[in-house]
Amino acid sequence: MTTPHTSSSTTSAAALRRRRLSTAGFHAGAGALSLLWLLPIALVLVTSLRSFDDIAAHGLGSRPQSFTLGNFKQAWVDGGQQRALINSLAVTVPCVVVTLALAAMAAFALSRYEMPLRRSLLLLMLGGNLLPPQILLIPVSRLSELMGVYDTLPALIGVQVGFGVGFYVFVLHGFMRAIPAEIQQAAVVDGAGPWQIFRRIILPLTRPALAALSALSFTWIFNDLLWAITVLRSDSKMPITAALIGLQGQYVSMWNVIAAGSVIAAAPTVAVFLRFQRHFVAGLNLGAVK
Amino acid sequence: MTSPQTSRRRLLAGAGAAGTAALLGGCVTSTSSSSTTSSEGAVSLQSNLSAPQAKAAMQDLVAAYKKSKKKGSVDLNTVAAETFRTQLPTYLTSANPPDVYTWYPGSVADAYARKNLLLALDEVWTSPDLRRYSKALHTLCTSSSGKKVFVPTTYYWWGMFYRKSNFAKWGVSPPTDWDGFLDLCDKLKSKGVAPIGLGAGGNTAWVASAWFDYLDIRINGAPFHRELLAGKHRFDDPAVHKVFDRWKEVLPYFDPNGTAVAFQDATTALLNGRSGMMLIGTFFADAAPKDALDDIDFFRFPVIDPKIPLAEEAPTDGYFASARTGHREQVFDLLRYLAGAQAQEIYLKGSSGTALPCHPDAKDTGTPLVTKGRKHIEEAAEITQFFNRDSSDALQPTADAALTRFIAKPKEINSILTNWQRDAQKIWGA
Amino acid sequence: MAALTTVARKAPAPAPTPPRGRRAAGPRRTPPVVLAFVLVPLLAEALWVFWPALQGFYLALTSWDGISAPRFVGLGNFREMIHDDIFRTAALDTALWLLLFGGLSALLGLATALLLQQERRGVGFYRAALFLPVVFSLVATALVWQAIYQPDGVLNQLLQAAGLGSLRHAWLADQDTALYAVIVPALWRQIGYVMVLYLAGLKGIDPVLYEAAKVDGAGRWQRLRHITLPQLRGVNAVVLSVIVIDSLRSFDVVWSLTRGGPYHSSELLSTYMYSTAFQSLRLGYGSALAVVIFLMAFGVIASYLVRAFQEAD
Repeated sequence: MTTPHTSSSTTSAAALRRRRLSTAGFHAGAGALSLLWLLPIALVLVTSLRSFDDIAAHGLGSRPQSFTLGNFKQAWVDGGQQRALINSLAVTVPCVVVTLALAAMAAFALSRYEMPLRRSLLLLMLGGNLLPPQILLIPVSRLSELMGVYDTLPALIGVQVGFGVGFYVFVLHGFMRAIPAEIQQAAVVDGAGPWQIFRRIILPLTRPALAALSALSFTWIFNDLLWAITVLRSDSKMPITAALIGLQGQYVSMWNVIAAGSVIAAAPTVAVFLRFQRHFVAGLNLGAVK
Repeated sequence: MTSPQTSRRRLLAGAGAAGTAALLGGCVTSTSSSSTTSSEGAVSLQSNLSAPQAKAAMQDLVAAYKKSKKKGSVDLNTVAAETFRTQLPTYLTSANPPDVYTWYPGSVADAYARKNLLLALDEVWTSPDLRRYSKALHTLCTSSSGKKVFVPTTYYWWGMFYRKSNFAKWGVSPPTDWDGFLDLCDKLKSKGVAPIGLGAGGNTAWVASAWFDYLDIRINGAPFHRELLAGKHRFDDPAVHKVFDRWKEVLPYFDPNGTAVAFQDATTALLNGRSGMMLIGTFFADAAPKDALDDIDFFRFPVIDPKIPLAEEAPTDGYFASARTGHREQVFDLLRYLAGAQAQEIYLKGSSGTALPCHPDAKDTGTPLVTKGRKHIEEAAEITQFFNRDSSDALQPTADAALTRFIAKPKEINSILTNWQRDAQKIWGA
Repeated sequence: MAALTTVARKAPAPAPTPPRGRRAAGPRRTPPVVLAFVLVPLLAEALWVFWPALQGFYLALTSWDGISAPRFVGLGNFREMIHDDIFRTAALDTALWLLLFGGLSALLGLATALLLQQERRGVGFYRAALFLPVVFSLVATALVWQAIYQPDGVLNQLLQAAGLGSLRHAWLADQDTALYAVIVPALWRQIGYVMVLYLAGLKGIDPVLYEAAKVDGAGRWQRLRHITLPQLRGVNAVVLSVIVIDSLRSFDVVWSLTRGGPYHSSELLSTYMYSTAFQSLRLGYGSALAVVIFLMAFGVIASYLVRAFQEAD
């Protein structure tokens, strides 16, 4: 299957130039878009490098007239962000793992087997996500008190898992349904049980979806504020989002420290996203069936 | 999906529903009571003073308390002010509540006292320190059932703040009465300055309520104002109309961007000379750069009717305790300490220093501003707390909506007041 | 080769008989292990979500201030809602929000995913740039967008510099512009998220299809219309649910920028619910509003999904 190379030198040069132009055009377009998108974030960065007096004297939107790295230290130490970051990670990582594991299991069961009521179950689980979380706040805080886990990190993990699992089941269900049945049948014929089919075949095939969802759920859980405020009371247990708003005063807020705190808080989620986006490369591999 | 399965499901659903209904009423709304009393363990202090300086001052205070006692300690927990506000009902009604809380006296504390959620502090008020507090504070901290439920420690005041150097630059001086105030506004306007700054945009719409409060206590007197906020008068009362008629006189002098910027940005505008003066509390000094602090001064909101007894807004801060605390004696001890002069001085020194102590002997930070403020409050015959503290946090959003709409569309005042009354009715009737 | 992929969507069912009565487990009928696969997540969700949700629904039938005992009022809250002007404004704004925010985030999310789907040099950076707002804390986002929208903020300064000074507004304080002004930061945060979903979906499309189409002489637009979009149907269901969920729950950005103001001109059902429940302390009415939001979301999603399920099976 050779591509017919009916080229004289001029056509190939023209093709090369066209390719270069299209690459340049792509980079120009995507670059401009990215720049527009990053503008507000650049503003946050600039604010995090200014002193409080500078902002107080000239306003947030003004040209910076100071430069200091002290805000980061202040957010890290005084703002308790060091401990809060550890809390956040201690909550987010187990949450992501448990939620996606449970969701993958449920999606596998609902999509690959003719289970009765599977569609209703799917809708039911998704329905849990349709509730505005604000209205669940007080019942959940009471519930965690009843269970004796109020003001503990496991309560937060529990709530996040319970609240997130419905949506991920739905998404993974969509992906798993697209896997051809022949692969599964072949495995059954080979004598594999459901657990082995799940682990060895279906799970690897949904890797792009799992990668995307890991990045998203890490973000969601890490950036969550409402549940943290609801089930936690001590400032030593608060995750980083709550610690960040804790930097706001009753009347006056030090925006420069808060901006620095936001930059610190954004670092883990950005890192996770950059790490996982490489997994999007693996597409659905149908080679096994051929 | 066949009948035995469906009927079994229905039975389960029915049983579930019945059990649910039975439990629901109790579960979410239960206000269980704890009956443990211990003389050991730390007292938990839940604080909403989350500004870095205030937080550090609280930590100093707690450390000083620990040093002065041989045993017993305090667990300080600081959460963001907005979080604290939304979670306070949950804290107070939980089975294991924090012991002591920072909050405000008056109507907002009384609301919880009426539900028997606050510890009676009459024992604490027998201490020599608290007995010397002013009569006004005594009344403020007494609940409607006659028991003391609050211990006040600091207060601050509201006034028309301006920058001395700017006033000197424009050649104007503080007025003494309403007509003088209007003249001042005219002069400032002619110089291209927005005479009256306002920071009622963003999340600080409550700043506009200060104008309503002051005009009301100047025109109708503090008692009427308190009754109005407690629901004993209507917002479409002709007396309230008078407030807004007066306000319309000065409305042209307001900064046109007044409702578009938060008060921190309005402070910047004031200090830069883009606006002339602002009706604000002393906390605004926290938003000013340090080199401008000496340049800030204030004057009293101009008197409109000299026959009305002079009233000022001086919101008080302090502490109350949960009725369900398991550490009664330690709580009493802590509150007695906090009501003392030394504790208040420690706090004022560590925080921004623009507040005043409630203890008659405690020394304030001694700056000219604070000294003037002390005199300013002492000259007042009546003290009010501020809109939301005299009524409730629930009434504040109704005021925000009404007042921002009035500032934008003053001609619609009739419908604005009718709507305000309707919204307030829902809060009072709840 | 193309035949295989068209089969991919259907799960063939050479099943002997549908289950009757109890789940009599045959070898390929839902082994008990598989039931456990479903029950464990379901239990987790039931405990933390359904149980509090039932309590929330019960609260919608009461009048409660968060402290004293609730007072049963039956459908009184819903009756009040019908006569409530603010509710009507909020409902209209929410519908508008759903269309604008929802529609634009889907379109622009797909567009950016199509633009950035190829693995080439620098695409990782562009994707990260678009996703960054999603991970940025809300406090900083609100701060920055307020700075942008202020009367002397970045946006007005840019307009002035571009000679369009007459278009300057107090964007968040003017009742005519507040709602639309708030949609922009919300979109800014959402598009990266939708893009990631579509990227995963696009990655799942077999490249063989494209090659076959190219050999047949299909141009780029035709490939988009006849291959990409149909293959994305599964992802579209997900994206639709995401968008509906996020639109109806779109609370954070609006609340932190305008609190539903000025005087309710950017009020959404979610902000109205929050302010009634946590500011006015009328938790019964707030719960009733939450029930309305839930029913709206459920209605939109369920109708779409039921149709999608019927098509697929």
